[in-house]
Formats: sequence, C-alpha cells, structure tokens
Amino acid sequence: MSDSAPLVALTGIAKRYGGVQACRDIDLTVRPGEVHALLGENGAGKSTLMRILSGDVTDFVGEIEVAGQPRRFAGPADAQGAGIAMIHQELDLVPALSIAENVFLGRELRRVGRLDRRGMQQRTAAVLERIGVRLNPARPVEQLRTGEQQLVVIAKALSLDARVLIMDEPTSALSSSEVDRLFDVTRELRRDGVGVVYISHRMDEIARIADRATVLRNGETVGTFDPRTMSTAQVVEAMIGRPVQSVFTTSDVERGDELLRVEDLAVRHRRPRPGRRDPDGISLTVRAGEIVGLAGLLGAGRTELLETLYGVGSAGPTSGQVLLGGDPITPRSARYALRNGIAFVPEDRRVAGLVLFHSVLANTVIASLGSIGRLGLVSARRERRAAQDSAARLGIKTAAISDPVDTLSGGNQQKVVLGRVLRTQPRVLLLDEPTRGVDVGAKAEIYELLGELAGQGLGVLLASSELPELIGVCDRVVVLRAGRSVADFDTAQAREADVLAAAMGEQLTGATS
Amino acid sequence: MMRDTTRAVAGLLAAGLLVLPACGTTSENRGGAAGGQQARADACKGPGEDYRIGMSQANLAEPYRVRMNEDIRTAAAKVPQFEVQFADAAQDNSQQVNDVQNLMTNQVDLLIISPNEAAPLTSEVAQAYNQGTPVIVLDRKVNGDAYSTFIGADNVEIGRKAGQHVAQTLLPQGGKVVEIRGLPGSTPAQERGDGFRQGIKGSKVQIVDSQAADWLRDKGREQMDAILKSQPQIDVLFSHNDPMAEGAYLAAEEAGRTQGIDFVGIDALPIPSGGIKAVEQGRLAASLAYPTGGEEAIEAAKKLLISCENVPKTQTLETELVTQRNASQVYSRENSPG
Amino acid sequence: MTATLTPTPQREGARRRSPLAWLARFQSVLGLVVVFVGAIVFSPTPDGEIIFLSGENLTNIVRAVSEIGIIAVGMTLVILVGGIDLSVGSVLSLAAVGSAVLLVDNQLPLAAAMALVLLVGLVFGALQGAASTLLGIQAFIVTLAGLSIARGLARLWSGGQAVPIAYGSGPGEAPIAFSLLGERTFNGIVPIPALIFVAVAGGAIAFLRISAFSRHVYAIGGNEKAARLSGVPVTRVKITVFAVCGLLAALAGIVHAGQLNQGGPNDAIGYELDVIAAVVIGGTALSGGRGTVIGTVAGALLLGVLNNILGLNSVDENVQLVIKGLVIVAAAAVARFAPRT
Repeated sequence: MSDSAPLVALTGIAKRYGGVQACRDIDLTVRPGEVHALLGENGAGKSTLMRILSGDVTDFVGEIEVAGQPRRFAGPADAQGAGIAMIHQELDLVPALSIAENVFLGRELRRVGRLDRRGMQQRTAAVLERIGVRLNPARPVEQLRTGEQQLVVIAKALSLDARVLIMDEPTSALSSSEVDRLFDVTRELRRDGVGVVYISHRMDEIARIADRATVLRNGETVGTFDPRTMSTAQVVEAMIGRPVQSVFTTSDVERGDELLRVEDLAVRHRRPRPGRRDPDGISLTVRAGEIVGLAGLLGAGRTELLETLYGVGSAGPTSGQVLLGGDPITPRSARYALRNGIAFVPEDRRVAGLVLFHSVLANTVIASLGSIGRLGLVSARRERRAAQDSAARLGIKTAAISDPVDTLSGGNQQKVVLGRVLRTQPRVLLLDEPTRGVDVGAKAEIYELLGELAGQGLGVLLASSELPELIGVCDRVVVLRAGRSVADFDTAQAREADVLAAAMGEQLTGATS
Repeated sequence: MMRDTTRAVAGLLAAGLLVLPACGTTSENRGGAAGGQQARADACKGPGEDYRIGMSQANLAEPYRVRMNEDIRTAAAKVPQFEVQFADAAQDNSQQVNDVQNLMTNQVDLLIISPNEAAPLTSEVAQAYNQGTPVIVLDRKVNGDAYSTFIGADNVEIGRKAGQHVAQTLLPQGGKVVEIRGLPGSTPAQERGDGFRQGIKGSKVQIVDSQAADWLRDKGREQMDAILKSQPQIDVLFSHNDPMAEGAYLAAEEAGRTQGIDFVGIDALPIPSGGIKAVEQGRLAASLAYPTGGEEAIEAAKKLLISCENVPKTQTLETELVTQRNASQVYSRENSPG
Repeated sequence: MTATLTPTPQREGARRRSPLAWLARFQSVLGLVVVFVGAIVFSPTPDGEIIFLSGENLTNIVRAVSEIGIIAVGMTLVILVGGIDLSVGSVLSLAAVGSAVLLVDNQLPLAAAMALVLLVGLVFGALQGAASTLLGIQAFIVTLAGLSIARGLARLWSGGQAVPIAYGSGPGEAPIAFSLLGERTFNGIVPIPALIFVAVAGGAIAFLRISAFSRHVYAIGGNEKAARLSGVPVTRVKITVFAVCGLLAALAGIVHAGQLNQGGPNDAIGYELDVIAAVVIGGTALSGGRGTVIGTVAGALLLGVLNNILGLNSVDENVQLVIKGLVIVAAAAVARFAPRT
C-alpha cells in the first residue's frame, strides 16, 4: 500500500525458553496504514513475537526499531509509551469493575486529585461509539457476554491512541456483524496511518482485511505474501509445510433414525441474568449419523440451548419438550445427561473444559471413571490405558500423557476434551465452538473426527460462529435468533449469505436494501 | 558480687570433700522408679557442680508471668552454678507437654513448671519426678503429689483480704459491689471470688453484679460499659486482676463515673504498667500483691541441688495490701536490686 | 491428518523434567530432610550424645504432631477441593470435651462414646460443607462461623471448665483402655497417638491413589466448572470432604483428651493455622486441585522437627515464631516458583 518508512521493524528476533527455541530468526516490519496479518500454527512463535513487541518479554536476541530508532522496552508500559498496544487473546479485564474503569485501568483520569468518573465514562462512551457498540460505560464487565467483553478490550486499546496495534485473535468471540464493525474500525485506523498486526486463524478474515501476510513456522519466518492473491490452500501449506486437501470433510453418511428432538423448548428462569438468552421457542431434530449446525449472532442463544439440553442451563420452568430416541427426557444435571448418552463440549475449554494444570490423563478419564473401575475404586493401569487409547485415537500430540494439559497446543487441548467426552460413549454430542483458537491442522482433524463419529451413528449438534465451518461440516444448519429457531437449511443448497440473513432477521427472499 | 564469688569458691572447696561419694551418680539410674526423697538425694551434687534448670512457663502473654520469668532469671543470676532454660507454652497444654519433654530430653537437673492446667500436665510432671529430677511447681498446681515442692500464693486468702479491706475500710457502712471475674472455670477466678465472699461475710456489703472478663483489660472495659448502664449505683468495683480493673476504670472514666467508685484489683505487679503504679496514680484504691514466687523457686532449687536440704511440700506466699499509703514504697522495694 | 505433521516442539515437556520441577514435586519431603539434617547438626550433645536422634525424642516428635497431622490429612482434602476449614481447632476441643463428658459424667462404654464423638465431628463437618455448597457461602466464612459455634458448644457441654478424666471402673471414672492414648506400645517405644496418625495418613494415601473419589476431589479443586460439566457430583463430593475433615478433627480430639487426661473447652485454640501451615508446607495449593497427603505428612513432620529442635535449644519462643513463619514462606516460595521457571 504505502512504502513509507516502517513504524516498527523487528530484525533477527530469537527467544529461548529453557531448552526450547520459541523464535529462531524472525523479521517483521509494520508500515503505517497497513494491516499486517501474522499466520502460523499454534507454537509457531506468533505469541512470543508479539509479547516481545508489546514489551511483555524483555530478554531476547535481535533488534527492535521504532520509527527508525533502536528501542529496547523495559515493560508493557514502556511499549505503550512508544505507541504500541496489544489486544490479548485472553481478556485482561477486571470483572467487578465497570467498562470505563477497565478502559482507564492504571491511567485513571483525575481532577483535582479525585477520580474523574464522569470524564472517564464520557471518553469511554466516545470510544465505544467509534466501534459502534452501545453499552453503558458504567456497567460492570462481568455482566457482559464474552463477545461484548472482547469489544471492550478493543475499545481499551483504541483509547491508548496507539500507532501500532496488535490484535491477537480479536474475532474469536465476535458475531459476524460485530466482526464487520471491527473491520470497519480497522479500516478507519488504517486510514489514520495506524499499523495493525493481525493474528487470526480465519483465512476468510485475512483475505478480507489484510494488506500483507507473514507466515511463521517453527519460530522462523517462512515468507511474506499478498493475501489477496494467495489461496487458502497455499497459506495453509506455508503454515504447516506440506500440501493439504480440503480443510472440510463432509460426511456422506446414511442418515438414520431421529435421535434428538426438541419441540418448542422454552425456559423462563426466575431471575433473568443480563446478557443471557434462554431458549424461547426452539425446535430442531438431530438424526443418527447427522451433523446439525447451530448458527446465530452473538446472543442468539446457541450456548444457552446446548446448556439447557445438557441440563446445566438456567433453572426455571420449562415448556415444550426434549425427546431422546423418542422418549421424553428432562435434563436436570450433567450427570443425568451423561447417563442418558448426551455429551457436551463447552465453549471455552480453558474455563469450562479442562483442569489446565492437571495431566492429559486426569483430564481424559474424569468423566468416565465409572467404566474404568468398580465400587468407586480405579485401577491406575486401566486408567492409563484408557487415556493412551484416547490420545492415540484422536491423535493428541503430547510427549507423555502425564504432561499437564496446558503444555499442549489449543487444538490438542480441544482433542483432550473431545476424548474425555467420547469416553462416556454418548449417542448425542453437543459442541460449542469446538474449533475456536485451534490451528488449521487441528481444525481439519476435528472435522474429520466429527465425520467419523457421525459415521458411527452419533448425532452431532455443532454451534459455531464461523459460517464456512457450519456450511462445510454440517448436513443441516439450524439458525437461532433471539432464543428462537428461525430457519433450517440443508447445507447442500444453502449459501453463507442465506444463513447470515436468517440470523440477522432479514427477508430470505429478495434482499431489499 | 564479691561476696558471691567468695562464697562460691568456698562452696567449691567444700564440695570437693563432701560430695565425692555422690559423684557416682550418672544419668543411668535416672530411669529407675526412684521415690521422691531418694530423687532429691541423687540430684543434689553440692556446690561443686554446674546445674541446668528448665523452666516451663504456661504463657508469656500475661505480665505476671513475664515478671515470674524475670524474677527467676534475676535470682538465678546470683547463683553461679545455675543456668536456666526457658520454654513458653503459649497457653497450650499440648505445647507445654512438649516443652517438658524437650527439657527432659535435654537432661535438665531440675524442672520448674508453672502449669497451664493441672490435669494435662500431671502425668508429665510425675514422670520427670519419678525419673529422679526434682520438680518445683509454681503458682498453679498439678494433681497428686509427685513433685518436690509447690510454691504459690493462696488465692482464697487474697480474695478474703480483698473482701475484708472492702468491708472494713472502704465500705464500713455497707454498699454495692460489682465483681469482674477472671476466666470462667479457672481455679484462681473461682478461689479469688470465693475468698472475697468470705471476706465480706457478715457485713452490709452486697455484690450486685458479677461478670467474667477472662483476665483481659479490654474485656474488663467492655463488661464495665454494660454494667454502668444497668447499675445506677456502684460503690466498689472488685476485679480478679488489675488489668480488668484498669479496663473497668477506663469505662467509668468515659461515662464520667469514676467519682464515688473505688476500684480494687489483685496482683499489684511491680512493673510500670502494673497495679502498684495504678494505685500510686490514684486509679485503683487498692490492689493485693500476688507474688510470682520466682525468687522463692530459685531459693528452693539451691536447697535441693546445692545444699541438699529438705524443702516443705507446700510454700504459701504472703500477700500484701497495696494502697495509696504504701504504693511507692512497695514499688521501689520490689525493684531494688538486692 | 496422520501423525507425520511437523513434530510439535516439546517445549514444556523438556522443562517439566528439569531437576527444579522434580524438586518442587517433593519439596516438602526434601524440606523435611533439610530440617532433619539441620536438627542433627544443631542438636545439643551433652556427653557427646546427639539427643535429637535418640529414639525417644524422635517418637516424641511424631507424637507431638499427631493431632495436627491427623487433622491435616482431612484439611488437605478440603483444600484440594478449593475450600478451607477454620473450625478444626474448635471441633477438636468439642470432641475432647465430648469424650471426657461422655466417659466420665455419662459413663458410656468406650466404643459408644467414641462413636458418638466421631459422629458429632462428622455431622458438624457435613453441615459446614452443606452450608457452603448449597447456600453458596464461601467455606472461609462458613467455617469461621463453625469455629465460633464449635467453641461455644464445647464450653456449653463442659460447663466452661476442663473436664478431668480419671481412670478406673468406679463411678466418675473412665475406662482404663482410654488412657492407652497417652501411652506407648511396642516395648514402650511408639506412642499410640503417633500410631494413629501413621494409620490415618497411610489409609488416606492409599485411598487417594485408588479411588474415583480422589479424582473427583482433584478435578473440583482444579476447575469446578469443568468438573461439574464432566458429570462429577460436585456438591456431594464437597460435603463428603468437609465431613471427613470434621471426623478427623474429632478423632484428633479423642487423641487429645486421651493424651492430656481431660477435655478442655479452651484447648487447641489456633490449631487450624498450624494445620493449614502443615498442608501448605506440604505443597498443597490453597487455590485447590494440587497437592498430596504425603506432602502434608512431610509438612507436619517438618513443623514437628523444627519445633522440637528449637525447643531442645531453648530458643526464645518469640524467635521461634519468626523462624516458623519464615519456613512457611520459604516452602510457599518453592511451590510457587519451582514448577514454572
């Protein structure tokens, strides 16, 4: 785009953690007014590189130049002072504080020595306005949905007036309309001459927004490309170092009997929680051997539906009914659901799926101890065999099953959750965003696994924010809007645009805009 | 100082001649179930030996007990043969059992103990005594008689004297007394209360309220706060110790009612924060000295270890009434280095 | 798709096996060894004998930590599920008082009295667990209340005074068998309370190794939400754990009464902190999900050895407090830094 002098230039960056070389020799330049995508599998060195750039890691080899001057940051505050801000993948927010307090955390506005709450709220409101979010700046962050929290984090970074903005998977929790909004903001920033480093696993996003793309593999720069002239397959090939076939694998399985039937399900809970969208009239069916997608904007109630079916949703009177294999059931606890053959892979594996510091083994067997031992006793040998069996079956890459699960990549962590869930021998598998934060290779493996499971006669209900994923993997897609099921597409015919339109509530026939 | 040294040298010379036959005694025959009298004979090796004395203190949270340790330290410093090891159980029976065991493991030649409570320490003390180690029990008793001597004040007597002082001197015409008691269930609280009632028997003095403040100054203040609200007339406040009396005084001061109330406490510790000073400064009308027995304990240890004399099984320490008249005199006497 | 992908860098794998991490895993055992060796070095040696190493002294150490150790086993479970139990000292005292009153005043047979006392501890713990889980109140607050309640009950039951236990078969006397708790077995070498402690700890270690329950305990402490979603009966497990802790506190109370020949309503004040210290020195994380009973046992013994050697050297009690505090911080620091750096 512009060939002006780079805002930031990183040269020959290397960083070693103990015996492990996280970065070997990485070069990266960020020019004013460009969106520079950074690609690579988990463990390729992206995060370490960005932690170096944002001042989080200070002991490394190599040079950082900011506006032509060599710099060495003493810490994140130092980097922010130099105009470099980072939006972390993990939401660095204090739940009990308000949006405005979070945005100005550590650099609170003062007037005559006292906190200037009004001033902070006004300026927060202005930043939120800029990214098109309508949220009361005085609201505590803990009341917000994940996606809304992500937007607050972005607002916080914007309020720093950064010249270089690092976005690490900023859209992983956003709905597509929110993604559009974010991209609008990003383009605006680009016009203002801000350099954006954009890390994402989503090829479609990169094709939409990025001006240049640098691919990392095993701590080294593979090369820098123009993403608009490069096919997804080429990018993936550069990332994993070998050619791939299609990312998606659709199952061609004979569809069997109806396994799960939801009829006009609605939950009216006694104490409504802000930001929660409980089922309010949902009907759908999942047959044996079928993968059904669950689409919808953020806050449409996808997660809430899966939680309700698993028996861990909001408490309250329920209307409508849930039939499992033709028999009505009342899911009231996870134990009940598991006993009846319903398994659930929750949305955020780090928060709800795994005990991160426990071993792969412990995480794999925790849900199926009953089948591993007798009378409440467990044989360590059978436990180990079970975990090894799951690891082998799912291709979990780990040095030893006694390794803590947080030493694994995101994809392998997700496979551990899947392995645990499958050990309960479910008939119906509920999945909530199973590929979020998972690299391309592992994504493909998970899709293939889902196809395999469907082939064995499982019914799969898959909630996802990624439309290509839903269209590519599922046999049918049910669209939710405001807690109701509003459409049911056969993916053989449906296009992404149709699903999106249904989710947004536009007319299905003949767009009139 | 000079005199001490001379005496020690003389003692040493004498010991060389007198105690030789006893030198065959080693730790080996300590294990035997020796009786009390024999134990003393074995333990006494005369002035020619050095002795280690173990002192197991129940707790050092009370100023009284700090003073007790101090008195022992001061008295022992004057005996060149003595070296004292202190242990503090911090009000914990189990810890004191450990302390005694540690001192015994360390092979002390004599054990002084001021037990936290009687029953938990009885068997430990008896074991030490039966192994041949003389045991001096201070202030609080243990059960049975497996010890060399008990040194302590008579709480009933102290309470009685306090009662008599109130009945005869402070309120000869009779009047209303409020009592603040020590920790419920503790022997001194029981005995001081009983003694006080004996002391006022037959007079027109009447106890109108009685509350426990667990020996603590702040609790004394708290209880007095409440009492002041419910009792329109109080002539004397009798407290089982000085700190609670001082706490009660603070409450009365805050309520503007110190006039007309005489505060009587017990302990009269000769320390800056103690009862003698409080009497001297007019906050307390009287306090009854509760002597620590530290000096007497070292005196007894000298008899048991060095001069091989008998000591009485029980030594009762005399109390002393401290009033405005004699307060400053008692204070300087107690703190004189002699 | 197949396993021919570029091998994932074995970053953490390599780090995990570093000697530091190994040390972290056995930090409390190593700490025990260090303190033990230090105790030998600093032991008083009258007549050239290292009195710290005398058999009597060593068994004494185990006896002295037995009550703390027994409770610490239960506390380990509670802390593993992410809870805390501040009531254990009071429950110990309640059980000691209960033992004395039931045996001496109520003349109950030994077995009945013990069963009743253990039941009291179990129910008290279970109620605390239920209040915490079902009402959603933090364990810290519930057991802080429990600390107060159990102490009050102990004082009420005893009438505010220590209940002395005399042995014999007459009225007002407890069965002689109960006095065994204050004695030694195996030729008068091994104190009975030490034996009970070893049995409790050994039983717990074995049970944790082979039971599904222990997996549930670790999972709940590690990530309660994930555990619940995995079908772990979170509420039931938590209540059970608190009940077990109450039961063990009551057992320690029985041992306490037997050792001291009385049930004291004001005994064991502040024991909960010693117990928690033993657990923390043993490497169990207060945040839950991480820790071992072996570590706790080592932590309790470490405190015992430390207490013993400081006592043998007549170190000033106030200096002892400072030293013990520093040891706790050192142990926590090892736990904090060793596994990750």
